[in-house]
Amino acid sequence: MIDLKDIRVTFGKGTPLQKEALKGVNLTIEEGSFVTVIGSNGAGKSTLLGVLAGDVLANEGKVTIGNTDVTRKSTSARAGLVARVFQDPLAGSCGSLSIEENLALAARRGETRGLRSALGPRRRELFRERIAELNLGLENRMKDRMDLLSGGQRQAVSLVMATMAGSDVLLLDEHTAALDPGMAEFIMKLTQRVVSERKLTTLMVTHSMRQALDFGHRTIMLHGGEIILDVSGDSRKDLQVEDLIAMFRKMRGETLDDDALLIG
Amino acid sequence: MLSQIAFWGAVELGLVFAFVAIGVFLAFRVLDFPDLTVDGSFPLGAAVAAVLITIGINPWLAAVVAMLAGAAAGTVTAFLNVRFRILNLLASILTMIALFSVNLRVMGKPNVALINADTMLSPFFGLGLREVYVRPLFVGVLVVIAVIAVWRFLESDAGLAMRATGANPRMSRAQGIDTSWQVYLGLALSNALVALGGALFAQTNGFADVTSGVGTIVVGLAAVIIGETLFGARGILLALIGCVVGSILYRIAIQLALSTDALGLKASDLNLVTAVLVAVALVLPRLRRGASS
Repeated sequence: MIDLKDIRVTFGKGTPLQKEALKGVNLTIEEGSFVTVIGSNGAGKSTLLGVLAGDVLANEGKVTIGNTDVTRKSTSARAGLVARVFQDPLAGSCGSLSIEENLALAARRGETRGLRSALGPRRRELFRERIAELNLGLENRMKDRMDLLSGGQRQAVSLVMATMAGSDVLLLDEHTAALDPGMAEFIMKLTQRVVSERKLTTLMVTHSMRQALDFGHRTIMLHGGEIILDVSGDSRKDLQVEDLIAMFRKMRGETLDDDALLIG
Repeated sequence: MLSQIAFWGAVELGLVFAFVAIGVFLAFRVLDFPDLTVDGSFPLGAAVAAVLITIGINPWLAAVVAMLAGAAAGTVTAFLNVRFRILNLLASILTMIALFSVNLRVMGKPNVALINADTMLSPFFGLGLREVYVRPLFVGVLVVIAVIAVWRFLESDAGLAMRATGANPRMSRAQGIDTSWQVYLGLALSNALVALGGALFAQTNGFADVTSGVGTIVVGLAAVIIGETLFGARGILLALIGCVVGSILYRIAIQLALSTDALGLKASDLNLVTAVLVAVALVLPRLRRGASS
């Protein structure tokens, strides 16, 4: 469960560059729900994700994940509640560590890390099994350094890493944006499977309207730091990409000039 | 060629500085923190151990206290960097400079001699083996213990967290790793090892000198780089063994350079030779990569 109450974030407060990134966002996402987030550049998508992940601390408002108030908690302090896949395939794992070492890191997310060997035989076997499920042949490369993998392979491993330890929430930050179309499709299918198998409460930020409507149970659109559209259920089922654009125009009364929004 | 005594002397010095190399490896390679504190924590370790031994404290205990002092020095650098956001390199230089004064305070004078005092090595001198061999053997055993301990640590969950912190701090935080704490822990550990090197240096050489820290960082870095050139990036254990081998080879190379009359080098040329050696060690892997691509 995610609950955001009147979240306000202002960057550079009191300077000429002051920018209100979020202007009182209220959002409740039920347990096990999959929500997609769209919006133009600067709409506040990244800030919203940052507020949930802990990279950005809200100036005002209250952030609840699960049953925990995490408003003032740092990224590392709330990591046990939040799993995350980044947009940049290089960002979500350690290139200089091996595949199995990265999984070992993820398996202890949010827990204390002791002096026990990170890669005992049982853990190794578990990691191998989890990686084998990807059907990418990576299970035979468990000792390879992560930076030998392609961007798509790294994102696939990142998804496995996100589910190694239990968590309440999965945050996906345009995690297919840097991939070629074939790999992006593969990663989305994998995402779909992982989310439904584990019944994760998921928030996916995307640039693709197509993705936003095809996946998940609910779609919200951000603009200028506010939620301007929130659709789910039947009204969402009938929605087309063209409708989204039209709706966006109507609600804002502005002409749409952001190409990124038009990319199906 | 080197005489037996000169050769084993170089090996012994190389083993003493292997602690420095491992410490430098932890800071520079594992944490990606260019830490110059070592130029101060090495003589700090020597000073603390020497002073404690001269007032009759058990030399093993003196070495432990020296390590704690080194850890404290590393903690100060971490504090300046983490708490006040002072650039890592600058934070370590500040601690290093401060330690020069601290070391003079600890010793009360520029150097302390350990002639006739009992050291960690004393009990082993009477066992029939010649002193030239006892010293490198003794230090070597300690180095092996340190290598195994650091290796096991870096392959544990806690050590993996430290390696991740150096490799990708943003990802580490997302995995629940408190990266600030890792910097504290890593620099404390690193400088404790360097200080232990200093404590052993004082005990094997029979003195502690406030100027003995100059260039420690370069020597440690030279050892790390020589090790990497020889062993490549093939796991933690080999990297650590590389530090030790690199440290010994470095000392032998210096000894050879200084004792070869044809080159006409004097002991005072040591720093120049060191700088050239490190530069060569830095350039070699790049040349090799250039040739292969």
